[in-house]
Amino acid sequence: MPIKHYLALFLLLFSSTVLFAQNKFTLSGTIRDAGTGETLIGATVKISGTPTVATLTNNYGYFALTQPEGTYTVTVSYTGYASIIKTINLTKDTKLNEELKSANDLAEVTVSANNRKNENVKSAQMGLEKIDMKLLNSIPVLLGEKDILKTIQLLPGVKSGGEGNTGFYVRGGAADQNLIILDEAVVYNSSHLLGFFSTFNADAIKDVSLYKGGMPAQYGGRLSSVLDVKMDDGNNKEFKFQGGIGLIASRLKAEGPIVKDKGSFMVSFRRTYIDLFLRSSPDSSVNGSTLNFYDINAKANYKINDRNTIYISGYFGKDNIGVKDLFENNWGNVTTTIRLNHIFSDRLFSNTSLIYNNYNYTVRLLNDATNFKATSLVRDFNFKEDFQYFSNKHTLRFGLNATQHRISPIDIDSDEASQVNSLTQERRYGIESAAYISDEWAVNDHLNFLYGVRLAAFSLMGPGNFSTYDANGDIVSTANVAKGKFYKNYLNLEPRFSVSYLFNEQNSIKASYNRNTQNVHILTNATSSSPTDQYVLSSNNIKPEIADQVALGYFKNIEDNNYELSGEIYYKWLQNQIDYKNAAELLANSNVESELLYGVGRAYGMELFFKKKFGKLNGWVGYTLSRTERKFTELNNGKYFPARQDRTHDVSVVGIYNMTKRWTFSSSFIYSTGNAVTYPAGKYSIGGQMAYYYTQRNAGRMPYNMRLDVSATLEGKPGRKYQSSWNFGIYNLLARKNPYSIEFITDPNDPTKTAAQQTSLFGLIPSVTWNFKF
Amino acid sequence: MKKLIIYLSLFTFCFTGCKKIITIDTENADPQIVIEGKINDQLIDQQIKISKTIGYTEANVFPKVSGASVTVTDNKGNTYIFKEGTTPGTYINKMKGVPGVIYSLNVTAEGQTYTASSKMPNVVKMDSIGVIKNFFFGRERKTAAVFLKDPANETNFYHFNLYVNDVLSERFYVNNDRLTNGNDLRLQLFFKPPTNDHDSDELNANDKIRIEMECIDSNIFDYWYALSQQSNRGPNQGTTPANPTSNISNQALGYFSANTYEMLSATVK
Repeated sequence: MPIKHYLALFLLLFSSTVLFAQNKFTLSGTIRDAGTGETLIGATVKISGTPTVATLTNNYGYFALTQPEGTYTVTVSYTGYASIIKTINLTKDTKLNEELKSANDLAEVTVSANNRKNENVKSAQMGLEKIDMKLLNSIPVLLGEKDILKTIQLLPGVKSGGEGNTGFYVRGGAADQNLIILDEAVVYNSSHLLGFFSTFNADAIKDVSLYKGGMPAQYGGRLSSVLDVKMDDGNNKEFKFQGGIGLIASRLKAEGPIVKDKGSFMVSFRRTYIDLFLRSSPDSSVNGSTLNFYDINAKANYKINDRNTIYISGYFGKDNIGVKDLFENNWGNVTTTIRLNHIFSDRLFSNTSLIYNNYNYTVRLLNDATNFKATSLVRDFNFKEDFQYFSNKHTLRFGLNATQHRISPIDIDSDEASQVNSLTQERRYGIESAAYISDEWAVNDHLNFLYGVRLAAFSLMGPGNFSTYDANGDIVSTANVAKGKFYKNYLNLEPRFSVSYLFNEQNSIKASYNRNTQNVHILTNATSSSPTDQYVLSSNNIKPEIADQVALGYFKNIEDNNYELSGEIYYKWLQNQIDYKNAAELLANSNVESELLYGVGRAYGMELFFKKKFGKLNGWVGYTLSRTERKFTELNNGKYFPARQDRTHDVSVVGIYNMTKRWTFSSSFIYSTGNAVTYPAGKYSIGGQMAYYYTQRNAGRMPYNMRLDVSATLEGKPGRKYQSSWNFGIYNLLARKNPYSIEFITDPNDPTKTAAQQTSLFGLIPSVTWNFKF
Repeated sequence: MKKLIIYLSLFTFCFTGCKKIITIDTENADPQIVIEGKINDQLIDQQIKISKTIGYTEANVFPKVSGASVTVTDNKGNTYIFKEGTTPGTYINKMKGVPGVIYSLNVTAEGQTYTASSKMPNVVKMDSIGVIKNFFFGRERKTAAVFLKDPANETNFYHFNLYVNDVLSERFYVNNDRLTNGNDLRLQLFFKPPTNDHDSDELNANDKIRIEMECIDSNIFDYWYALSQQSNRGPNQGTTPANPTSNISNQALGYFSANTYEMLSATVK
């Protein structure tokens, strides 16, 4: 749709809010947890009247509702908390700052039906998954190290990058098509220890939202999903400590008020100690080896006055792997976010963010002939200005965003004696800017819209020499661009549209369409994310990746919203996808763009989800039926072929049983079709060795994956200030040998033939973790 | 790096056997023609071998293609007719290639014609070969190594074959000087025996090692490099396997390479 028409339509739809009547007053405020002072995101504030209107608190716990003058009953509720019901005499604009008591802090809690929300049915938002941070503690994971990225892989539509791997694929997208943000800062590499653990220390995390589709207009820059992770603000009432000791890592978190009820801080630290075991070895080449990671999350906030609150948060993480006298490799992310919440008027909320983030790695080879250090960096400066305007039937969001990227692909620093030469690959600069506007419109009790548009601009900037390549990979032309000059610009309009229609309070259908574009791409021909993954920006050769997704869903809640049922179908078209030529050399190659192939993709599927939210036994069952394909002129005779992550069936079952106040048992079960892979169809002799002949790309299947994990948590005696708990887990209880890779070897039973040998990573792995809190 | 991941995982987590033989579901493709031709700078019977692929599940006997007409011409106007010798499917001509000359292959087999050309690069000699000792998680490991001086004024591509006690190592060793131009190179060649016995991949005292070195052109480098990325790595790891790009026309598998040749031997101490 041309931009003019779209904007015209937008203005038409929104015009009803602009004209607001007189004698109306606004009730606004912030909703917090009574125990910790943490703001509650997504709490419901309902005001009686005809009609009754309700809203959700935003990312900073803020809400605003407007009603004509009068006396109203206001209900504030949040899942797992006791509701507050108040009578408000609305004769002027009124503040309502409330603190809700968590179920954990109450001796006896009857979770009444009115705080079991039907938001999943009602909201126009589709494809959104929220992770309950309390649930996270009881879901069994590898080595007992609770992990949000592994937990989201148990949801329909999200596929694991591989066994024990934190990489994930959403609705047929690639692993680099997920926007992973921590307090708004992009986390480029979200994995620790070569992908077995994620960079998110669950202790420091407050809220996790995953958008699989229907991305709201305030998010952009990646095709497939948005994983929005928010850190804890810190307790603003009293000092608290918590921590844990596990098999591979220990954690410690401290939080407390800076000024009581005005400001707080939170610091959380985690470190692994696998290498301490190595260090105890008598062998010098073993005890000189390193294998560890650590991360630090820190955040502070201060309420300057009723209208202004400032937040500063940061993350620092590092992995170190090394073998004495052979090599060292370290990598990590740094993020810093400074935010100012400013309330212009009760109905206009704004947030200004200044964000810095980088990802860097160093590889050092210490071999006496190959002695060098290679470093790489991706660095962003990001400015964001977001506004939220609350009207009764509309919540309007609009804002601006400008990010400057700098990529240092690789710098090799070597001494004279080294056989590898020093090299500095040209830095690349780019500016991504975006403007968006969206409106959440509750038309009536049945119809809700969430629609908007994002205008995304990308410019590749000098200085630098930019080559354009032909299909053979030969240079057609090279432009020398001066510093600060724009070389290549792309402008994309991204419409976002979702609608929900409620048949009644517990049944709805929803539909959505959204377009996303992406200008930062990872080049890797490995399966899982690697510390040395290379980032490139859109250029003359690499066009912005584009995804269009349509989805349709049916949502149903039963028994006072205790059970949630949903089914979604989606279809996604992908443009300007990247693959690699034969014998592509991706690393330290200034002509790396000559090694790329460009094609299209399509992904479609159905996701079924059944969840029981409350009661002694809760959990969910997820099922995904899907297909993910790619098409490149140069590959597979130009025909569609399954992408590696194409898995037809994906089943996950999570069950949590709260047997007593102190004992909780949980288990998770997964089944998925094997990855699509290319198997040999023939073989021949070349250079005296055997080589394999391949026909169709990814026409074969790895064996299926199946795993059952269990865990048990024993909480300390309730009511004490000092709390400790034990978590016992068994990963892969069935000790099934799930496939990690396959290699072809001489058949041990018949040396004239070839056999396929499967390697598995993990057998049955027990774990124990001790957690404490005071 | 990938190997390291597996090694660490096995080291850390896997207590019982983590490898097992499985059956895979794949088609057996129709036979395809495979041409392997080399012209080197020694005066020997140069060989062009023509064979066919077999299905994945078949026994490793590769059918030879006899009765083909095989001609090599060079850009100096010489024509060399290759005749099928005593070994079926192997076509020979005693001649000596010259660096800097472009050789063109013309094969007609089973009614199809295949052509290719390759330019023989300049000679780069090995300085020596030897054995390097590394320590990895407490194990001393000896590896064969080639020492050579890479010329600074040109782009070079090298291909090696390693034999240990006359057994050819089942790896494709290939290097270019993209990151090492003009330097003294020490290239380690990790031995992989044809057996599945992973303990026998170490060199022991008194093992005889023999290394063949070829200077190859860039197409042939891409060919070996593509194979080296795939060998030893099955599906689901690294690059999606595909047939290496051949410099031979008409969809033939294989390659035609004009390359230099040098061989050195040593005994492990």
